[in-house]
Amino acid sequence: MTASLLQAPRLHRTVLANGLTVLVLENPVADIVSARLFIRAGSTLEVAHQAGLVSFLMGLLTKGTERLSSMAIAETVESVGASLGTDAAADYSVISLKTVSADFAEIFALAATLLRQPSFPLDEIELERKLTLQQIRSMQEQPFTLAFNQLRQAMYGEHPYALPGIGTEATVSAIVQSDLIDFHHQHMRPDNVVVTIVGRITPEAALAQVEQALGDWPVLPQPAPVLALPAVTTAPTCSAIAQETNQAIVMVGYPAASVTHPAYAALKLINTYLGNGLSSRLFVELREKRGLAYDVSAFYPTRLGPSQFVAYIGTAPENAATALEGLRFEVERLQTTVLSDEELQSAKNKLLGQYALGKQTNAQIAQLLGWYEILGLGVEYDQQFQDMVAAVTVLDAEAVAQEFFHSPYISLLGPEDFVAPVAAAQD
Amino acid sequence: MPLNSVDFPASVIRLENGLTLIHQEIAATPVVVADVWVRAGAIAEPAEWAGMAHFLEHMIFKGTDQLPPGVFDYAIETQGGMTNAATSHDYAHFYITIAADMLAQTLPYLADLLLHAAIPADEFSRERQVVLEEIRQAQDDPDWLGYQAMSELVYQDHPYGRPVLGTAEILQQRSPEEMRCFHQAHYQPDQMTVVITGGIALEPTVAMVKHAFRGFAAPSACPPAAIAPVPELPGVRREILHLPRLEQSRLTMAWVGPGIDQLETAYGLDLLAAILAEGRSSRLVRELREDRQLVQDIGAGFSLQRECSLFTIQAWLEGDDVDRVEAIVCDRIDELAAKPISDAELARAKRLLCNDYAFSTEAPGQLAGLYGYYGTIANVDRCLAYVPTLQGYTSDHLQPLADRYLTPLRYVSTILHPA
Repeated sequence: MTASLLQAPRLHRTVLANGLTVLVLENPVADIVSARLFIRAGSTLEVAHQAGLVSFLMGLLTKGTERLSSMAIAETVESVGASLGTDAAADYSVISLKTVSADFAEIFALAATLLRQPSFPLDEIELERKLTLQQIRSMQEQPFTLAFNQLRQAMYGEHPYALPGIGTEATVSAIVQSDLIDFHHQHMRPDNVVVTIVGRITPEAALAQVEQALGDWPVLPQPAPVLALPAVTTAPTCSAIAQETNQAIVMVGYPAASVTHPAYAALKLINTYLGNGLSSRLFVELREKRGLAYDVSAFYPTRLGPSQFVAYIGTAPENAATALEGLRFEVERLQTTVLSDEELQSAKNKLLGQYALGKQTNAQIAQLLGWYEILGLGVEYDQQFQDMVAAVTVLDAEAVAQEFFHSPYISLLGPEDFVAPVAAAQD
Repeated sequence: MPLNSVDFPASVIRLENGLTLIHQEIAATPVVVADVWVRAGAIAEPAEWAGMAHFLEHMIFKGTDQLPPGVFDYAIETQGGMTNAATSHDYAHFYITIAADMLAQTLPYLADLLLHAAIPADEFSRERQVVLEEIRQAQDDPDWLGYQAMSELVYQDHPYGRPVLGTAEILQQRSPEEMRCFHQAHYQPDQMTVVITGGIALEPTVAMVKHAFRGFAAPSACPPAAIAPVPELPGVRREILHLPRLEQSRLTMAWVGPGIDQLETAYGLDLLAAILAEGRSSRLVRELREDRQLVQDIGAGFSLQRECSLFTIQAWLEGDDVDRVEAIVCDRIDELAAKPISDAELARAKRLLCNDYAFSTEAPGQLAGLYGYYGTIANVDRCLAYVPTLQGYTSDHLQPLADRYLTPLRYVSTILHPA
């Protein structure tokens, strides 16, 4: 499988005079070009009373520029059957587009304009607010989301990672146009932007289009402001939401390492061992052998700041206590049980194999390369990550488990008669 | 209007035992996908066995006499591959994605599971708990509940109206013997299509598939599925459900269209769905969400199935606005038949759908899924007619189509309100 994207001689990296980084990978196989415009500004840059601002701002980028109305933007994109969307994450935000190659220049130029010259029309702000507030309320319908929001809040306290990127009813209600203009002015600037273009396009043509659309974007003299983030203190809790659901959700969360921490690769490997696929430890022990769940897994998000290692299960309410015990047992046993060489090698094969399978489409490649660049890891990280995973030993895995898998934060959701006793037993 | 076809880039080979192999080599891809489709979805079940096809899909992974439970998953995943399966009314399918040079070692495992599933009694009881958890999880999802209610209203006694998952009550009464019978009756070569796409040439693929997919058990007799015809909608059927924990009402309106025997007509309905509600500049999204702000979101869906297709409009909105929005949608549906569709609107919808088609065939797994689906419900080369057929449509063709299939006089409407 593709070992490294870097080994592909077709990858071109250029930094424009204004500091904007461009990555181009020519892939002529399909008549498709995918691009990403990454901005080094995610929800961690929001002050507490403006939670949700970046997500709100990104949604509004496609709703009006100095010259184009929201509908004119939609018509331009849809009339050529392209796709264009925006997203806001904790550590970055992004505009994504995909076109057949003949339409790329036009839609890329549009995306560049959206990034540089949004006008944040007042009527569009109000519509977006209405839709966003409803979306926040709709999260209440999803047991998994509710349980995870509860876990995140408990683990992160005042840190911005505590909140879903969409914000809260109170903060979204308070956003005004000048907040958007100010944030855009401070953070959407060429030295904060990485553009990746992958597909049927020559590097020369791609670079010329980026130069034309973004090359004259002026540099700002002052650096982008940074926020002093509150420290995350660890004091594990158990919280429960009572809801008359058919299934209980049980989640455990352990404070975990950032992407730049030496334990990162080992934790990714442990995450694969425990939670990835039909042969993973949690799946085999709790689903296949004990029939406790349909959905049981683990995840460990890649974060610039302090991350979290989460294991979860959806189970019949009467099994909530058993399931919690099972989850904790499987995670925490790694403190004292050293993986066999075969288990470790299997986890490596699985992680690296699936990593390679995640680079099949132009969009996947554009996302991965730009993501590494915007996080400050550089495109070299594509290879470095694989080398780090390959180098993890069974003793590394044990040491990492001992460092991180102490008492977890616990989040429960389900019928009160079942989850309340489980929560009470944790005190 | 005739179906136009262009040269089909895949090879379709019927093996001696009746198994169909579809293969397409994709140059410069280190990955191979093997996707096996079986005409043994929920539609093949007798009503009292509802849920059997899906439950069997789970049990396939529980091994054979040669292959203990879990060995297959472990073998695929420790080679860096992925495997999974899915069941719908028209099919069940099972797939692996793996490095091209590992296919020869892993394909025989997949074939062994599919041909010789042992369905051990103890695994049967344990896995039934897993499926019951899957049902519980679905019952906590208001959109799943709404979809099932709508399907029942549309299809009545036709199997498309039953949940693929079955019910806890029915599953509790099923036995491993019954499942073995269902398996042996339906997992037969003439009901099976093996699709292989990616970095592997035709010749080794044929040899590999011939070798792996042999030794089928003789078909067993199994209670037949009694398939009622898809009912004609007599008028407007409306149902209102009140669900706990709902934060927002939903309105789903559904119309029944033709099945795969009238593919060109079905594709025309796909175009009408895009004209109505695909993208911000489509008719309903622009009017109801952007301008009048009566809905949180609105979309149209078109799904092609073997016996009939389903055309849906779904809106997320405030409960007080449901009646008004339903009336407006009826008006706009009526207009489709009454007024010509502008060239620009038609061109926009065609490009959206044609590009979606191109975008959804980029990776080997997507391509295998497309071929397997068409190979199972129709003929595989029919998917190639999609783009030329769409391109051939004019307003003059579409208006009568809207008139015939999308009428405000006959449809199903399912409404969810907070309890």
